[in-house]
Amino acid sequence: MSPALVVILRFLAALGLMLFNGVVMIYMLRKVLARLHIRLGPMDNGPWGAFQTVFDVMKLLTKEDPTPRAVDRALFFLAPFIVFIPSLMAYMVLPFSSTWVVADLPYGLLFIFAVMSFIPLGILAAGWSSNNKWSLIGAMRAVGSQVTYEVPMLLAALPVVMMAGTLSLSGIVNAQAGTVAWVIPRWFVLNVPAFVLFVVAGMIESGQTPFDLAEAESELVSGFATEYSSMKFGLLFLSEFSNVFIFSALIVTLFLGGWMLPWIPASLYQPIAPVIFMLKTYFVIFVLMTVRGTLPRVRVDQMLSLGWKVLLPASLAWVMVTGLIIKVGGVLAGAR
Amino acid sequence: MSSVYGAGILKSMRIAYRNMLRRPITLQYPHERMELPERSRWAVAQKFYDDGDPKCTACLACERACPDLIIQIETTTAEDRSKHIHHWRYEMGACMMCGLCVEACPFDAIEMGRDYELARIDPSELTVDLLTDVPAAQPKRRAETSAAEKPAADPPPRSREGWAPDEPKGGDDA
Repeated sequence: MSPALVVILRFLAALGLMLFNGVVMIYMLRKVLARLHIRLGPMDNGPWGAFQTVFDVMKLLTKEDPTPRAVDRALFFLAPFIVFIPSLMAYMVLPFSSTWVVADLPYGLLFIFAVMSFIPLGILAAGWSSNNKWSLIGAMRAVGSQVTYEVPMLLAALPVVMMAGTLSLSGIVNAQAGTVAWVIPRWFVLNVPAFVLFVVAGMIESGQTPFDLAEAESELVSGFATEYSSMKFGLLFLSEFSNVFIFSALIVTLFLGGWMLPWIPASLYQPIAPVIFMLKTYFVIFVLMTVRGTLPRVRVDQMLSLGWKVLLPASLAWVMVTGLIIKVGGVLAGAR
Repeated sequence: MSSVYGAGILKSMRIAYRNMLRRPITLQYPHERMELPERSRWAVAQKFYDDGDPKCTACLACERACPDLIIQIETTTAEDRSKHIHHWRYEMGACMMCGLCVEACPFDAIEMGRDYELARIDPSELTVDLLTDVPAAQPKRRAETSAAEKPAADPPPRSREGWAPDEPKGGDDA
C-alpha cells in the first residue's frame, strides 16, 4: 500500500474510534450515573438499553439545524470544528500498543498539550458568536479555567517526563516496564503527588462535573452550547466526551503503564495490548464518572484559587522534589 | 478526621460507591407495575351484580353529592316507576377524586376504581359514559324475584327537565 493510503486509513480509524468512544461513553455515563442514583438508566432500546445512544445520534443527525438571527455566522459555523478537530488530532498520538498508533511522534506529549489548548479557543468562539449571555459567560469560564489548569497540568506531567527521560508517549510507556522490588509494577503512579495533581488538573481540563463551570446546566442552560442544535451540538458534545477519553488515556499512558500488564512477559499480552489499554482507559473513565456523579460543582473563585494557589505551587514544588530525587539517586548510583 | 481537608470528598465517594452496589429502587414502569396499596383509589367506577347488571338505581344521590358537578345522570321513569338510565356521564378530567359520591351512594353501586392510567390523548375522551342505555337496578324487586326477570320494555326516552351539560345546576351546592 502506498504511504498516503496508510495515513488516510489510520486517520479514518482514529475518527471511527472517536465516534465509537463518544457513543459508548454517553451510554456509559448514563448507566453509571443511574447506578449512583440507585436507578437502572436507559433500558428499552436493545439489551439493557445499549442502542439508546445510537438512536440519540440518529436523532441529532436528522434534526433541523436552525441558526439564530443575530449570531456571528462564520464563527458560529466554525466553532464546533475548532473544538472537534483538536480532539481528533490528539487521538493521533495516543499509543494503543507499541504498534497501534497513528503517528508515534517523538514529542507526543507536547503535541497533545498543544492541540488540546486549542479547545478553549473554539469554546470561546462558540460562546462569543452565539450572541447569548449564557453562552458568553460559559465561554469566559472555559477560558478562565484554561489558564487555571494548563500550567499545573504541564507541570504535573513534567515529573513523569523527567523519570522517563522522553516526551514520546510510547517511550514513556516503555519506561514503565518491569517492577520495583520484584513485586510492585514500575508504573509512574508510584509518584503519587504528580498523579493526584495531574488528575485534578485534568478534571478541570475535561470539564467533568466538579469543574464543569463552562456548561453548568443549572446556571447557564448549557453554557457555550446553548444556541447549538443538531449535529453542530453533536460535535461539541462528542468532542467533550472525547476530551475525557483523551485525558483518561493520558493518565493511563503517563501513570498506569499504558498497554502493559505487570508480572507477565510482554510476548504473552502483546496481541491484546490495545484491549488492555482500552480497558484501563475505561476504568479511569468509570472512576471519573463516579466522581462526576458524586461531587457538587465548585464556584468560579474556588476553582481559580484551587488552580493558582494550590495546584500551581504544589506542582512546581513537586517538579523540584522529583528532580532532586532523580539527581541524588543518580549520584548515589554512580558513587556506588 | 472530619476537619482534615478533603475528608468530605472521600466520605461522599464512599457513599457513592456503596450506592452503586444497591439494588435499583425504581420500577421499569410500563413493564413492571407496583402492587397498589389496599386503599388506593382513582376514578369513579360502576359496580355490577354477578350477572352483569349494574347496581345503580339512578337515585341521583351521587349527582347531588358531587362538589364539582361532574356526574350527570340522564334517566327516564316508566309508568311502573322503573327507571331507565340513558347516560351516566362522568367528567374524569374535572374529578378531584374526593370520593363523596361513593359515600353518598345508598346502594353501594359505585366505587373508586383502581385503574391509574387515566391519561388520554384527546381531551374529549376525559368525559366518559360509565353506563349507557341500561335499565336501572331495583334492589327490592330483585330480592323478591331472584329468578331472572328483567324489567319491562323501555318507554320512549325523555330528557330530564332542566338538564344542561355545561351549566352548573345551582341551588343544591350551598
